[in-house]
Amino acid sequence: MSRHHLDDIHFDEEENEINLTPMLDVVFIMLIFFIVTASFIKEAGIDVNRPDAPVTESKPEDANILIMISANDEIFIDRRLIDPRAVRANIERLHAENPKGSVVIQADMKSSNKMLVEVMDSSRSAGVYSISIADRGN
Amino acid sequence: MRKKHGLGVEEEENEINLTPMLDVVFIMLIFFIVTATFIKEAGIQVERPDTVTADTQDDASILIAISASDEIWIDRKKRDPRAVRSVIAQLHAENPKGSIVIQADEESTHETLVIVMEAAKGAGVTNVAIASDDG
Repeated sequence: MSRHHLDDIHFDEEENEINLTPMLDVVFIMLIFFIVTASFIKEAGIDVNRPDAPVTESKPEDANILIMISANDEIFIDRRLIDPRAVRANIERLHAENPKGSVVIQADMKSSNKMLVEVMDSSRSAGVYSISIADRGN
Repeated sequence: MRKKHGLGVEEEENEINLTPMLDVVFIMLIFFIVTATFIKEAGIQVERPDTVTADTQDDASILIAISASDEIWIDRKKRDPRAVRSVIAQLHAENPKGSIVIQADEESTHETLVIVMEAAKGAGVTNVAIASDDG
């Protein structure tokens, strides 16, 4: 029962093994977390600026397909009122007449984005991916 | 030394070598930590327009939501239209390769969309997409 004072200073030379099981648990949890979040959110959307299409400030001279969207979400092509479902067919026709022309959408400031996206979608369905949104001030 | 062949199954302790496995696991972990970029949610849900020709945006990192009443929400806060450009510039500096996705509500006006797109252009970000509901 009488311990030497020196015993307090004597360190036990035990093998200090790191507990691998909890560490592996933590590491695997972190790994799975990062794997899952790394490939998680994929937004589906329409590119406004496609990287391969040249970004042009001014519209080229050849006849573009001009689509106007009024404040009431009415679509006008060549000053004629067009039904939203017929937009794609019209773009196909105009594109066939003039393959180099791109679509230019001139939308009123009060028009809804729903119509804008629908027109863009119709244009892409018609095969024309080069779409510009007209700037009001020029 | 004579071991029984055939039916004699030796009951050796098969320990998994932990060291190489730990190496592999740590390498993978560090890889994913480094390549993971966190997307800043806009803060509100919007009713996106329906499309059929949408592409998946793989490198979206800045989400800007435009509500039906033309409020601009970035990073869980409602923003003033004049402040949008500096907010985009700031977020873009954190992740230069990320693209912007504008989640515009169906009922939002073109004017607000133009404001956001002009702000993005002013902040130097050209990779902009408009979110839609595919299919």
